[in-house]
Amino acid sequence: MTNRLYESMFLLDNQMVREDWGKAKAMVLDLLHKHGAQLKSARRWDERRLAYPIEGRQRATFLLTYFEMGNEHLVALRRDLELNERILRYLMLKVEKLPEGELELAQAENAADFVVPAPPADDAPEPEKPAPERRQEDEVTVPDLDLMNVEEN
Amino acid sequence: MSSSRRAPAPPISGKNCDDPVLDYKGVDNLKRFLTVHGQLLSRKRTGYCAQCQKALKQAVKRARHLSLLPFVG
Repeated sequence: MTNRLYESMFLLDNQMVREDWGKAKAMVLDLLHKHGAQLKSARRWDERRLAYPIEGRQRATFLLTYFEMGNEHLVALRRDLELNERILRYLMLKVEKLPEGELELAQAENAADFVVPAPPADDAPEPEKPAPERRQEDEVTVPDLDLMNVEEN
Repeated sequence: MSSSRRAPAPPISGKNCDDPVLDYKGVDNLKRFLTVHGQLLSRKRTGYCAQCQKALKQAVKRARHLSLLPFVG
């Protein structure tokens, strides 16, 4: 009967996210509330290509949540999460405190003007990251070979 | 047989590994400590103390579970 702070990451099916992100998020939060969790924050962490396919899905949306819950509910919550087909995978960790800036990020998502980008198609390539700026010391100066030949002559 | 052996590669993290930020969500950081096949580098190569290497191992395993990192390259 100890209330603890947990960090939990959920992999959600992109098909459900495409239909409605709010609905998908509410489904997970309802599960948490059902087991007596007091939600601290919940936000969309990322949408990305998976390193290996899970249940045939190549991409998934990650939902990061922090909540307080009694440890006696953990087993029942895990069972419900395992049975849910829309949650591809989850990771639940005990943490000491809420990370800095987490509340602000969650609040920003809850703001009315926040628009969740629709997930791309399952076979869509990863968007290219901008190339890092070249440092000056990386640039190699190539000596002018023509000039060198002239000096030898 | 050549007498000169190739010098060992320097450790990635340096000698000071006090309190490194090793989180399963920092995938780009974790990738620095993996081989091209997705295997975790040894302590000799990472330069971490036993405690930090253990934290690194734990973070990589969590990232693999969430499919953020591959089990095999």
